[in-house]
Amino acid sequence: MTILAIPVLTLITFWPLAGLVVVLAIPGRRAAAVRLAANVFAGLEFLATLVLLFRFNPASGEMQFIERADWIRVLHAQYLMGVDGISLLLVLLTSLLTFLATLSSWRAVAERVKEYYAFMLLLEVGMVGVFVSLDLVLFYVFWEVMLVPMYFLIGIWGGERRLYAAIKFFLYTLFGSVAMLVGILVLYFHYHTFDLTAMLRSGTVLPLAVQSWVFLAFFLGFAIKVPLFPFHTWLPDAHVEAPTAGSVLLAGILLKMGTYGFVRFSLPLFPDASRKFVPVVVVLALISIVYGALVSLMQKDMKKLIAYSSVSHMGFVMLGLFTFSPMAVKGAVLQMVNHGVSTGALFLVVGILYERRHTRLISEFGGLSARLPLYAAVFLIMALSSIGLPGLNGFVGEFMILIGTWNTNWVWAAVAATGIVLGAAYMLWLYQRVMFGRLGNPANEALKDLTAREFATFLPLILLAFWIGIFPKPFLVLIDKPVERVLRIVNPAAAAKDAVLIPPAGGGPERSSPLREAR
Amino acid sequence: MDQVAVASGLRHLLPEVALLATAAAAMLTHVFSGKGGSRRAGRVSLAGMGFAAGLVLASPRSAGAIFTASLVVDSFAAVLKLAILLSAGLATLLAFRFFDVEGSEPGEAYVLIPLSLIGMMAAVSSVDLITTYVSFELFAIPSYILAAIFKKDPRSSEAGVKYFFLGTLSSAVMLLGMALVFGLTGETRYGAISASLPAADGRAVLAGMALFFAGLFFKAALVPFHMWAPDVYEGAPTPLVVFLSTAPKAAVFAVAVRALAGLFSRYEVSWSLAFQAVAILTMFWGNLAALLQTNIKRLMAYSSIAHAGYLAIGLAAWGEPARWAILYYVVVYVVMNAAAFGMLLLIRRGGTFGESIDDFRGLARQSPLAAAALLVLLLSLAGIPPTAGFMGKYFLFAAAVGKGMILLAAAGALNSVISLFYYFRIGRAIFLEDGGAGAPFERALNPVLVLAASALVLLVLGVFPSLLAGPAVAAALMN
Repeated sequence: MTILAIPVLTLITFWPLAGLVVVLAIPGRRAAAVRLAANVFAGLEFLATLVLLFRFNPASGEMQFIERADWIRVLHAQYLMGVDGISLLLVLLTSLLTFLATLSSWRAVAERVKEYYAFMLLLEVGMVGVFVSLDLVLFYVFWEVMLVPMYFLIGIWGGERRLYAAIKFFLYTLFGSVAMLVGILVLYFHYHTFDLTAMLRSGTVLPLAVQSWVFLAFFLGFAIKVPLFPFHTWLPDAHVEAPTAGSVLLAGILLKMGTYGFVRFSLPLFPDASRKFVPVVVVLALISIVYGALVSLMQKDMKKLIAYSSVSHMGFVMLGLFTFSPMAVKGAVLQMVNHGVSTGALFLVVGILYERRHTRLISEFGGLSARLPLYAAVFLIMALSSIGLPGLNGFVGEFMILIGTWNTNWVWAAVAATGIVLGAAYMLWLYQRVMFGRLGNPANEALKDLTAREFATFLPLILLAFWIGIFPKPFLVLIDKPVERVLRIVNPAAAAKDAVLIPPAGGGPERSSPLREAR
Repeated sequence: MDQVAVASGLRHLLPEVALLATAAAAMLTHVFSGKGGSRRAGRVSLAGMGFAAGLVLASPRSAGAIFTASLVVDSFAAVLKLAILLSAGLATLLAFRFFDVEGSEPGEAYVLIPLSLIGMMAAVSSVDLITTYVSFELFAIPSYILAAIFKKDPRSSEAGVKYFFLGTLSSAVMLLGMALVFGLTGETRYGAISASLPAADGRAVLAGMALFFAGLFFKAALVPFHMWAPDVYEGAPTPLVVFLSTAPKAAVFAVAVRALAGLFSRYEVSWSLAFQAVAILTMFWGNLAALLQTNIKRLMAYSSIAHAGYLAIGLAAWGEPARWAILYYVVVYVVMNAAAFGMLLLIRRGGTFGESIDDFRGLARQSPLAAAALLVLLLSLAGIPPTAGFMGKYFLFAAAVGKGMILLAAAGALNSVISLFYYFRIGRAIFLEDGGAGAPFERALNPVLVLAASALVLLVLGVFPSLLAGPAVAAALMN
């Protein structure tokens, strides 16, 4: 389905590329013009994705806005794009966060401005491309394309150890993705196509051994990205060294690509292997939750603290996905968005202080709330959203994950719940140490509160946090159908039970798909 | 053979004839046109290569083998001939700039390159043992001289001598293999040999095949026959390395493909394992050794060894997909390697060209266009999309997985990660590090032009791989 036969997804994916060309065409000394152009292009991109949202039909679980063309004919790779509710949400999140990250860089980036915005826009092409690709080769190309601009964002505009962090990020993620590439090729020789929708329609069930190996190959690619313990060691380095906007996108979007990969590819393509590896994945997810939270407690650097909190939060998402219970999987998908909103915002919060004081050490601050009331309010809302306070977005996602997990295995849920308690501890403690107490450090006397531009960057995120927290239904509606489709393949029993609660529209014939009968 | 057959066969060999005329014309220009004759000879040579490339495109393909069934002029040969001519053309363009800076211009180079080209172009067409051997020698001897063309530079002389001794040794080994095969069958033509080999003693055939391929692998610098390559590539003049590190490999892989397709078509299975070992060893050896280098020319020498290893994946995963994957990668390899050695001509410090990675520091600020082109090149060498280097590796890996050789593909994929590390040491110097004072960068047109054009080609072929994959598939049918 396209709007008046316009290839919307192609336009949305490559629109930032047009911005990149414009940015490069502007002479480098006119930094203001470069900034303006980049912001305008990123803003228009966000508006374009909103149009996509209004044209989207959430009642159908099918892929929409499909575009299909021959690409590499000799190997049957196609230019195939389409979105369902899950990818649509993530595309929206991407365009919003990229716009906000661009906006937030207005003053933070003074050096090599042109290159900076060029890489930001290139990054957006890669990120959007990953979420809309339905052909595995196309997906892989976007998946890798995005590494290059991120490498430069960290390596050029990063902190002191940026060179080390940048190449570590690149090598780690590349290592995972080449494993995935081999897996993709193995899949091709079983399905004779790279088209994900055709693979799922074909009804071919791979032998368990093949499923397991390919699952592991994909797992390496996705788990490093998430990152799941013990593949997380690149993350603290990359986050701490990256510039603020880089951290926002890294945490907000890039990590989601890992979990998105699981829900889009691993679960439906390797249902038997996914079930087989549940114990392994769940244990790793639980370790990530608790370990990430404990390490966060120990951090002296605010950014590192939030980086490790991401390990913990993403562990929650992984736990939710691998319980295969409808409630938990939907919660996990929603939590991807929530984490993007709250952690993205928290990195911006830290970035504001860093921009003014050029330090992120918690011990340098204290008592800021008196001097920066607006900042204090924003920080508080986002910290509470990250903790999962009812009424804010984090609560809805975590609650759904915990309920779903409880019904599957109460021990998992109990362990995961300690992660929430620890999460409250490190986040509130951070807030207390930075914002409350006496304003002891004289360097903080002259700190200025948020400017209008800075507040404008936070406003959409705050609104989203409340919206999802109070009225999550519009979001869940988008997620419902696609998640049910995945679960029908990977966990038919639960999907059937759930179907009693939410009758699937026209799902009858599909539930007796060959995939299911074969088992 | 009657005269009619020769005349009709000659129609297909017009490019080679043109190159012979080019060599003669370049030599006469060089000798008789006095001061500046060298450059004029170079222009003659370049024009002749361009003309020959046009003839390759225009001249008819032969239906079967010509000249008593010793040569085939099919589109497989045509694609490789164009790749070889491209390599020579880029090398000559870069040589102009290089010799200007060095202050001396040995005009013989412009004669030797077309002479060597004739041998390579005959080799890719050859389906006869004797023709193969003669054409190998025909391209090898001029290339020994090319490596040693700077008589007064000890490194260049050393490179030439090493190249000569080991090259001759490898020719001898290959000749011994050919002699065995000939002795077993009494035939020199591939088709006839292939038909009568099954009757021969299997072990003797395998021995012949082993020697034949050992000779080939020497010339392609595959591990464990690679020892000469880093020294030769480091010592020889840079623009000539562009030629020596690419064109002979294109010719060698063509001969290997023809041998597997015709000569030993019934023995492929017994050799797949050995080829896999060679491919894996070569990739790892080349990439791991490159990790340790600080001299960028030597680094690129090891990197080119590793790339020959990727090509060897195609030989191991023998079949039609592997054949066109090899073709695709050979063309991409020529462009990538020409640009990789060409980038050394961008930087100059104190009269000589820079050879250390540190010399590239801060290039992005001084010359953004060159830096952007280099970024594409480095991504392509490492096999990151959307570049032709990625597509080439992807096709080769696909051929391997299609044959069930998943570990081979995985080894290739892992090597792409290893290679990223050293390629991005260069990338880091260009983009992330500061050059400090001084401006060591050349603003000469030729190197930048060659780089930018290569980068564009690599990018276009990476986004639209069918542009090259289509013709490669058609050519790989070998009919």
